[in-house]
Amino acid sequence: MKHHTKSKLSRRNFLIAAGVGGTATAAAIAAQVVAPDKPQAAASKDKRGGKGYQESAHVRSYYNTAKV
Amino acid sequence: MSASVTPLEFQPPEIPEDKAREGYYALLARLFYAGPDAALLAAIGGADEIGDEGEQSALAGAWNRLARAARAMEPEAAQSEYDELFVGTGKAEITPYATHYLAETGREKILVRLKDELAALGLSRAEKAHEPEDHMAALLEAMRHLISMGSTHAALQKQQGFFDRYLARSVVAFCGAISASESANFYRHVARFAEVFFAVESEALKVF
Repeated sequence: MKHHTKSKLSRRNFLIAAGVGGTATAAAIAAQVVAPDKPQAAASKDKRGGKGYQESAHVRSYYNTAKV
Repeated sequence: MSASVTPLEFQPPEIPEDKAREGYYALLARLFYAGPDAALLAAIGGADEIGDEGEQSALAGAWNRLARAARAMEPEAAQSEYDELFVGTGKAEITPYATHYLAETGREKILVRLKDELAALGLSRAEKAHEPEDHMAALLEAMRHLISMGSTHAALQKQQGFFDRYLARSVVAFCGAISASESANFYRHVARFAEVFFAVESEALKVF
């Protein structure tokens, strides 16, 4: 356990030193623009042909959780 | 299996660095799924610069350049750039599907294994999503989900395993392809930031 706590700190220190999480920049953008509960503008039109590509709204939830 | 599926909700983790990681995964998933619209460009361009005091990390430098590029970019241009790079008519210049970078042959097998793994995590493709599960955006969303599950040793182990199996090699090759493309402009900055971010990720996932 102690070992885990120690390595958890070194992981965090590493991330902080690398510049991750110094500010909440990306998290803020994610909350603002790619949050699960906000609608998004449609992406540009499909150029692949067919009916494939849809709007980008579902990027925010590519997955559903399967209830098991 | 029960047919009852519900849209995935992402709970931000408690540790601030993991919250930031989750945010970067969300953002990159979005950018690799479709070209940015005006709101997204404005959000990236208007975000705080990272670490402007003293020396800058590689991540900060790449982020700040991406933010600058976002401010200079028109949404229409960014979206057609995305389409030209990743969609195209006929064959896309750069494929956003990870198995392409993971193996010359046997890609189907990797995809099957990936689907099994996602199912074991309780994840299934949203009805509206048509892309196979090895789309970069889908893999990044899966990582985002794993990060949102918390920061315990077991949770980090799951993240590390998934990252190593599907992302570590493929994302580097994918970003390399973007950087090498003459059609890339805004996405060159996205790729550069992604490269630096995932280099940090590979290291960080080794030291827990």
